[in-house]
Amino acid sequence: MFLRILAKSISKRKGKIAIAVVAVIMGASVTTALLTVSLDVNEKMNYEFRKFGANLLVIPDSDTINIGIGQFGFGAVTEQKYINQSDLYKIKTIYWAKNVLGYAPFLYQAVTVETGNESNVAILTGTWFEKDTVLEDGTVFKTGVKTINSWWDVEGTWVDDNGTSQDAMIGANAAEKLGVGLGDVVTVSYSERPDDLENATYLELNIVGIISAGGPEDDQIFAKLDTAQELTNRPNMVHTVQVSALCTKCDVDEFAREIEEKINYVDARTVKQLANAEMSLLSKIEDMMLLVSTVALSASALGVGTTMTASVVERRKEIGLMKGMGAENGRIASLFLAEAGIMGVLGGILGYAVGLVLAYLIGLSVFASQVMPNLFVFPIAVGIGVGVALLSSLLPVRRATRVEPAVVLRGD
Amino acid sequence: MDGPIIRMQGISKLYKPDTWALRGVDLELEKGSWVTIMGPSGSGKTTLLNMIGCLDSPTSGSLLIDGTDVTKLGQKALASFRRENLGLVFQQYHMVPYLTALENVMLAQYYHSVVDEAGAVEALERVGLGHRLTHTPSQLSGGEQQRVCIARALVNDQEILLADEPTGNLDKKNGEIVLDLIKDLHDDDHTIVLITHNPEIATMGEVLVEFLDGQAVSFKQTSNRVGGG
Repeated sequence: MFLRILAKSISKRKGKIAIAVVAVIMGASVTTALLTVSLDVNEKMNYEFRKFGANLLVIPDSDTINIGIGQFGFGAVTEQKYINQSDLYKIKTIYWAKNVLGYAPFLYQAVTVETGNESNVAILTGTWFEKDTVLEDGTVFKTGVKTINSWWDVEGTWVDDNGTSQDAMIGANAAEKLGVGLGDVVTVSYSERPDDLENATYLELNIVGIISAGGPEDDQIFAKLDTAQELTNRPNMVHTVQVSALCTKCDVDEFAREIEEKINYVDARTVKQLANAEMSLLSKIEDMMLLVSTVALSASALGVGTTMTASVVERRKEIGLMKGMGAENGRIASLFLAEAGIMGVLGGILGYAVGLVLAYLIGLSVFASQVMPNLFVFPIAVGIGVGVALLSSLLPVRRATRVEPAVVLRGD
Repeated sequence: MDGPIIRMQGISKLYKPDTWALRGVDLELEKGSWVTIMGPSGSGKTTLLNMIGCLDSPTSGSLLIDGTDVTKLGQKALASFRRENLGLVFQQYHMVPYLTALENVMLAQYYHSVVDEAGAVEALERVGLGHRLTHTPSQLSGGEQQRVCIARALVNDQEILLADEPTGNLDKKNGEIVLDLIKDLHDDDHTIVLITHNPEIATMGEVLVEFLDGQAVSFKQTSNRVGGG
């Protein structure tokens, strides 16, 4: 009988119920759109930001001596120092470790490159490409230049860290300058003093990939870190580490401070403008979404509340009659709350559908990308619809339970 | 005569700030009797009926219905008492507008205990509306709507029927049909309390109580059963 009353009551007042459902759709759709966009764009931004590469540069502390004559400074001379490769895992032991997306060590050396009869000087950079590193807790963390610079345009393949030590990659400018192509073998030599050919060490490198990064990398030759360390006789040493870190609720400076604490002889510098901008943009987008959702949901609550109040006022005699027949307040309340619940479910489902369209349009117009539907948002949209409908019905329902049958049934 | 089913002692009702709708009414109604209440508008008739119908509570005094002091019951207990013991018929034929005649009667069963469609059909047949089961109030005449209300009031077989000018809005013919139905209920030993302005109807019961300014000013025995106080 309850369902019969409910169904007939709703079908009799379709127009008014539809208005309330539209109000719920409004709130649920905006929330759905913003949640969907937020989740999707967060993921996309994460990816986009990673394309910018590292946002922290770790270098060894250096003793710098300023030189000059009188008031005229000529700059500074710096004693070359290194970071121990064996300390790198500590970067993943900071409080914000989960937000460290990746890092890569670099060891640079000017080397002589011999191709055919020519010899040229180029920078040989030893690094990790995508190396399985073991963290403090024994877990394996895959990291290297491929992780933090996955956007590099590579012709051929990336160097496999587990492969042969001779595999190397070359920047596009260097390749052109040296006349080197994929599959070529180049010989590089290194000696502590440039003219000390007798004590020079030689290494043959197989070029497996050509890198176009649009930066200084295009002028360098990349070999595995171990290979470069061996060639230059600098075991366990690296010059710098680039770290890619991202989160919305934390400060990049905090990352830097923590890394400096964990490895006490390094200086961690943030690529500040870029990193802070990334994070504050994400944070601002989320704040804006929260604000718009709150406004939309308030409007929904107002819409449902008004409809329900009008319904209670309009149905005063019906409520009085039911009470006259012995209906308790709980039964009166359950009828109205069930109506509100149905409005909420309908509004939530339709709001989810409308929200996906909105999200798609926002994605295209604001972020120029296709936002994908997220099923995780569906129960949230329905839950929000039902929650808003029920909450905003509480006052009207209270009013219904206070209807006095003697007053409304009085014959005039 | 089965003894008093309704016993009122010193019932007063004050509507704030200073309107006394009832002033110390004493009344005893015998079980199975038909008591008619008359009086000018504003004399307190409807307030009295609301008291007996447990739709309103007195400011002072005691009201015992079938041995229960209803002035001491809470809202929930009052609702329960109402559905177990009292059938209500009003001058305006209040029905739920979106339910059919049958569903309106079943609604009373639903709030009383369990829905029994056959019982509801029987009640409607009893008031001569077996052919109008699926009609909604807007498809029924005033007389038919009032008969649905009577079917609804009797479907749960409550002991007491309270009727506030049940024929007030009806033409003569429909009024007679409704009164015949009430007579039938009375013959089935239901206690009837009926408010009317019509002197003809006033003589149909056994006791006529006249109200003026919130007080019962006269009790007339119109047949062999007696009420008074």
